[in-house]
Amino acid sequence: MTKSFFRQHQASLLTLLALVLFPFLVGLFEGASPAVVWANGSGTSKFMQGLAIEVFILAMFALSYDLIFGITGLLSFGHSMFFAVGAYASGIAIKSFGLNLGQTFLLVLAAAFIQAVLVGIVLPRVKGITFALVTLGMASVLHLIVMSTELGPYTGADVGLQGVIIPDFINPAVERLRLYFVAMTVFILFYLLYKRFVDSPTGRVCVAIRENEDRAKMLGYNVFTFKFAALLLSSITAALAGFLHTIYQPIVSPNTASLAFTVTALLIVLIGGVGTLSGAFLGAIVFRALDFGLRRYIGESASFINGAVYVLFVLFIPYGIIGTWRLKSLELKKGWEDLLKRFQRSMG
Amino acid sequence: MDNFKVTLRKNLVLYLTLGVLVSLLIAAAQGMESKDFVITFLRGLAVGSLTFLVASGFSLIFGLMHVLNLAHGTLYMIGAYIAWTVFVRPDTFVDLLTPLALLLSGFTLQGVWAFVAARIRLSGAMGRILPWGGMALSLVILFMTLARYPIAVWDVEVFAQSPGTYAFMADQGTRLVPEAAVFEGLSPALAVIGLLAGSLLAAFSMVWLAHPPTAPQQLTWRHFAPFAVLSLVGILALIFNEPLTAWLVGLNTNWLFLVSVVVAVLAGMGLGGLMEVTLIRPLYVRHIYQIMLTLGMSVIGVEIVRAVWGRPEFIMPKPALFTGSGPGCPATTLAAWWQLNCATILVLGGRVRVYNEIFIPLVGLVVLVAVWLLLKRSRLGMIIRAGVQDSEMVEALGINVRQVFTLVFALGVGLAALGGALAAPSLGLSYHMGESVMLNALVALAIGGLTSYPGAALGSVIVGLIQQFMIKYGQIGIAIPFTEIVFKPTPPIVPASTIFLMVIILLLLPNGLLGKKE
Repeated sequence: MTKSFFRQHQASLLTLLALVLFPFLVGLFEGASPAVVWANGSGTSKFMQGLAIEVFILAMFALSYDLIFGITGLLSFGHSMFFAVGAYASGIAIKSFGLNLGQTFLLVLAAAFIQAVLVGIVLPRVKGITFALVTLGMASVLHLIVMSTELGPYTGADVGLQGVIIPDFINPAVERLRLYFVAMTVFILFYLLYKRFVDSPTGRVCVAIRENEDRAKMLGYNVFTFKFAALLLSSITAALAGFLHTIYQPIVSPNTASLAFTVTALLIVLIGGVGTLSGAFLGAIVFRALDFGLRRYIGESASFINGAVYVLFVLFIPYGIIGTWRLKSLELKKGWEDLLKRFQRSMG
Repeated sequence: MDNFKVTLRKNLVLYLTLGVLVSLLIAAAQGMESKDFVITFLRGLAVGSLTFLVASGFSLIFGLMHVLNLAHGTLYMIGAYIAWTVFVRPDTFVDLLTPLALLLSGFTLQGVWAFVAARIRLSGAMGRILPWGGMALSLVILFMTLARYPIAVWDVEVFAQSPGTYAFMADQGTRLVPEAAVFEGLSPALAVIGLLAGSLLAAFSMVWLAHPPTAPQQLTWRHFAPFAVLSLVGILALIFNEPLTAWLVGLNTNWLFLVSVVVAVLAGMGLGGLMEVTLIRPLYVRHIYQIMLTLGMSVIGVEIVRAVWGRPEFIMPKPALFTGSGPGCPATTLAAWWQLNCATILVLGGRVRVYNEIFIPLVGLVVLVAVWLLLKRSRLGMIIRAGVQDSEMVEALGINVRQVFTLVFALGVGLAALGGALAAPSLGLSYHMGESVMLNALVALAIGGLTSYPGAALGSVIVGLIQQFMIKYGQIGIAIPFTEIVFKPTPPIVPASTIFLMVIILLLLPNGLLGKKE
């Protein structure tokens, strides 16, 4: 018996509904009517929309990291580079060259493609830890370039890229609800694309590479092609997340190119569950909420607690929230079926 | 002759790369005066030595256990801060000795606890609840004791009592001696008992929870010796607190410096051993998670340093041996330096700071030779080298590899702590000093070969030299041949240049210069 479409995708559809209603529900909670929220009235709803946009951006970034780390098994310490290139390229294009959003979008895509090719050149030569070191090196070079005073007029050196003027129709200060829906749509589209990618034959080969690269090679797959496909998709996603970041934040900080930002992606993926995709979204929510709450109530030592959470997750919940849930739910299901069987046997 | 040709053909890329590097060095020497060259060269060696101290331990650990210890830079920093504390605030160090020694003492009884835990049979629920209960109880005891334990410490918030002020005053020669902390509301005997009991209970519950797969068949005095030594040290430090403090404060700065370096190394080794036993060991089956764990540890370490010693940067004073001045300085010969203890010495017309540019490279050289001898000439070294090749085989031959793992981890972290302690008087202390040295060490190892000990030395020296020559040429500028342009590398290009070199070398030789081909 095939389940109906709604039964099959219950959880996803409920999440989608919750995401669409989220700004209005927050507004109602405060006493603001949906009409006020619709008109971008200031208040808690607008603030929470901002947090949610950040979550979407982080989730996209973590999703792209999950694809190359969790699915394809490439350990990269330079993932922040993908994000930073998108953020800086779009920021400089809008601010210094006065391109419109469409042109910027194309430029970001091109930049993402070029950097994927750059990493792709290194890819067949180095493996494992060495790949991690080379990507770390590349990201450090970008971090240093961005920080250098020579490029100050473009990148803003160590202060960060400031004063990017975003057109009104999508400016977060004016039309935040619209940006919320745009970010949500982009994220959901990418999430669906990733789901499809992982379930496709190409994605299966990527998983095979993660499990045993030599065996995948012996089966006749050109390992490099598949790794590069994953890398390209990941690069484009991260760069678009960076583009969204530039639209949402008035400042692009050089921290987006640092190792710490890669660690953030790693932390998010770890909280949600490595290789689960949906874990990236859940992890981003938990991470942003935790970070926000800690900074607000504890202050400076927030990153200490972030580090501690990280270590605790590695030690005690290595499969993350979603991963552990999946493991346990199988167990629960099995126990439930056993119980049913025993019941039936005793009955008949 | 044939043999030579074969070797040449096999290592052609390596020789070419080395040739290019040497010619670069010669070209660099042409562009500046000889005194500038000497100073820059020695500075490069100094940076190389500090990098080497971090990189060698890192490479030993990675080679033997395949653990990429990304917290190594943070441990280097912690070594520096510990050395600073002992040097500038001996009273704090003596006060801390007792609680730390007693806290650790319980955990040295690993074997005993495994022996006991293996002999306790409890039903499922009790077996799970009791260890957690013991853990909670021990935490309560420790918290209650430690909260009232008196420690004379600086205050990050108050300027007159901040670490920076103490460092400055000690540097000026007038050491501030703050009031000693006294016991209030807690008798010393009760404190000792509380700390001991808490530590024993915590260690036992931990071992009980973990269910160690191997337990000793019978207990000998060896299982109790470390505990006896540690607890004795703790109690003696409490009894002789005042005379010990007075002795350390009155000590000649040269000896005090030696004491602080030794303490930093020992503390680093203890920290390393503890980290391996408690955090790294459960994860040997999941290597990726070890990397993530050490990343998390490095974040936590930086935050701890920032919370305890504060954000502002300060410097550790140099010992009297390297701070002399007055008539006859800078010294022209080593003999003259030995008599006057000048801060600087003349080498080929260049004024060279003795501590920064001669002492540090010398220590680096001594460590290089010492560890080399340890690896090549001792039984432990033989086991380590065999373990790097194939640790399972070594285990099958009946050698306790786990113990060697702990030892090497402790040794590696001890080397990093030594580097930090040496760097504290020359480079100063800041909470981000670990990051830059970690990046340098990673680059050096990638250049030299990740698991190769000589590779670590070669890579570190290359990194140090390139950085210092780039900095020097940033001041005087490079005249690009056939043009009028004078190119001045700016500070951000300095680290970028070594990373650039790393990427090129990894593309040419994926295993680094001296790394073995797989």
